[in-house]
Amino acid sequence: MMTAPLFEPTSPDLSTTFAGLTLQTPLVLLSGCVGFGDEYTRIEGYSHAHVGAVILKGTTLEPRMGNKPHRVYETPSGMLNAIGLQNPGARYVIDEILPKLPHDQTQFWANANGSSLDEYAEVARIFDDSPVTAIEINISCPNVKEGGVHFGNDPCMAAKVVAAMRAATSKPLITKLSPNNADIAETARLCIEAGSDGLSVINTLVGMAIDIEQRTPVIGNISGGLSGPAVKPVALWKIHQTRAIAQKHNIPILGQGGLTTPKDAIEFALVGSQALGLGTGLFYDPLLCGKVLKGLRDYMVRHDIARYEDLVGMLQQP
Amino acid sequence: MTNAHHATIVEEIATILANVQHPGDQFVMRVHAPKIAQKALPGQFVHIQVSPERPMRRPISIMLTNPEQGTVDLLIKAIGEGTERLRQRKVDEQLPMMGPIGHPFDLADPSKRYILIGGGVGIPPMIFVADHLQGQAETILFAGSEVPFPFALKPSTFLLPGIDSSVKMTIASLESRDIPCRLASKANMHGCFDGYVADLARSYLQALPQEERQRCVLLSCGPHPMLQSVAKLAHDLNIPAQLSLEEHMACAIGGCAGCVVETLEQGKRYYRRICVDGPVFDLNILPEFAA
Ligand SMILES: Cc1cc2nc3c(=O)[nH]c(=O)nc-3n(C[C@H](O)[C@H](O)[C@H](O)COP(=O)(O)OP(=O)(O)OC[C@H]3O[C@@H](n4cnc5c(N)ncnc54)[C@H](O)[C@@H]3O)c2cc1C
Ligand SMILES: Cc1cc2nc3c(=O)[nH]c(=O)nc-3n(C[C@H](O)[C@H](O)[C@H](O)COP(=O)(O)O)c2cc1C
Ligand code: FES
Repeated sequence: MMTAPLFEPTSPDLSTTFAGLTLQTPLVLLSGCVGFGDEYTRIEGYSHAHVGAVILKGTTLEPRMGNKPHRVYETPSGMLNAIGLQNPGARYVIDEILPKLPHDQTQFWANANGSSLDEYAEVARIFDDSPVTAIEINISCPNVKEGGVHFGNDPCMAAKVVAAMRAATSKPLITKLSPNNADIAETARLCIEAGSDGLSVINTLVGMAIDIEQRTPVIGNISGGLSGPAVKPVALWKIHQTRAIAQKHNIPILGQGGLTTPKDAIEFALVGSQALGLGTGLFYDPLLCGKVLKGLRDYMVRHDIARYEDLVGMLQQP
Repeated sequence: MTNAHHATIVEEIATILANVQHPGDQFVMRVHAPKIAQKALPGQFVHIQVSPERPMRRPISIMLTNPEQGTVDLLIKAIGEGTERLRQRKVDEQLPMMGPIGHPFDLADPSKRYILIGGGVGIPPMIFVADHLQGQAETILFAGSEVPFPFALKPSTFLLPGIDSSVKMTIASLESRDIPCRLASKANMHGCFDGYVADLARSYLQALPQEERQRCVLLSCGPHPMLQSVAKLAHDLNIPAQLSLEEHMACAIGGCAGCVVETLEQGKRYYRRICVDGPVFDLNILPEFAA
């Protein structure tokens, strides 16, 4: 199906560069929210042309069943999830899923997970020989017992994961940082020095919900990752804290956490997001991408900003 | 490159045309959502943003559509914050709604007799099946509820084998379209079977001659204990069954794997997504309902 051009030729330039890649728009669909890349095409009006990249669900070396239900639950201004990295394994993703994706319409990135340094490295090696254009490293998944956030909360371990993957692939690596880090800027620095080409800030916060009738935790895994507008102020602050070290090394940030409106997108851009992640916002509105792009464009026209990249980090001191 | 499922779901801003309250926190809502009304099949559902303050959507089965008038009817029970907010929504207000979603009931074989068993807010998809199959295949509906049925009722003129003549109440709109139906309740309702709906269906099925029973297929939606009784009925009488399942949902488009049920297929265990791989599943692949 042909998609009409999004904007008039005179409209602002919404493309952005990220870890050496050129993204057609700054919007990136976040890992775990959009399956293995194709699911949102079910909805009439969705177009891959609206997004710069789609990040596939967190993938491990071997298949994983994931956690028992309930896995998701709405909480005030957000939601909890504990999927437990359900995925068919890296080999299957490469052999059965990636060949069917329309790589001419947008880019697809992998989201690599592991419970040991070797597993992270092996997943990187497998994806190295595939059409994904970048690999995001999930060292901050709160929903699996081994690995995941345990790597992310220890800055030295985080850097070791990056180094192990760096040795296994020449694809751009994007490290996803946990907001639960005591000193996120320091973790960012170590990951950059270990070879990370970009940073995803932030992953979910850990939380829980309680069913007072059953007197049980609502989520099967007991705790889950909190996402959505509830975490947005934390996300903005963590990006702000990470921005200086990232800029010093010329490393871009994929800002995320509660971006659900065009106004949110502008805030994430101002604080320094070279790309803008959409996750929970898609659950609120499956056609969010088109609306955010329109809002960005209107804002840029109104403020006479020609390129998205000029908007990034424009935040002034109060 | 496009897949078969490409653009099968639409996002519509539906307008509420009616919201009729019934006892037991139930309400029947009619919305104008012409694209969804046009495409929907029995067993499919819509995913509704009940209010901007609770923006995560709620899955609700489609009870009936009128493609000419572009309307969709829903039957909902307020059980928590989301459904309670939906209950309070007024005529002419707008509801963002995506649909139709999910793998519908398999109704392809007109030589079958479809036995529909619905409980509580599992009744709506059964009404849609009955409506769809009218004039196409033999259909009988058994509905159970512990709160008053949110439908006009009347005594039926159809006789059904295995069912006492005192159990005569039916849903008036089905009776007028020649669809046989009987009701069950433990809440002492006049003309209804005093017991569980699966037991009512069992009396009927057991009274059928063997060759008639072998043509039957069970379709069911309702609370978990009821589905368990329906599964037992299917196992005992060796009748195939399709069950419509529920789980909390986030995306309802297959993206988050939040809504899963465990399946056993060719000896392998999977977690399948209820939103797009279901909500209707063949009983045979559901270990939690195994014999
Ligand atoms: C495919 C499908 C079709 C459905 N069709 C209908 C329908 O036609 N009419 C109707 O009234 N309801 C239907 N439901 C159930 C309805 O979606 C839930 O009742 C609703 O999401 C609860 O939201 P809440 O905010 O009111 O409750 P919450 O406050 O979220 O929860 C209240 C209680 O309900 C449970 N619950 C929450 N979400 C669900 C869910 N999706 N399914 C089952 N239990 C849940 C919670 O665990 C809790 O115990 C359907 C569900 C699915 C998955
Ligand atoms: C249902 C769900 C599943 C997720 N799965 C993953 C995952 O597999 N890997 C990962 O790195 N992040 C995962 N995340 C985190 C998101 O990618 C994102 O970082 C987070 O939700 C914050 O953004 P948001 O508020 O826009 O959703 C998941 C989030 C949700 C809601
Ligand atoms: S609700 Fe997201 S996969 Fe079913």
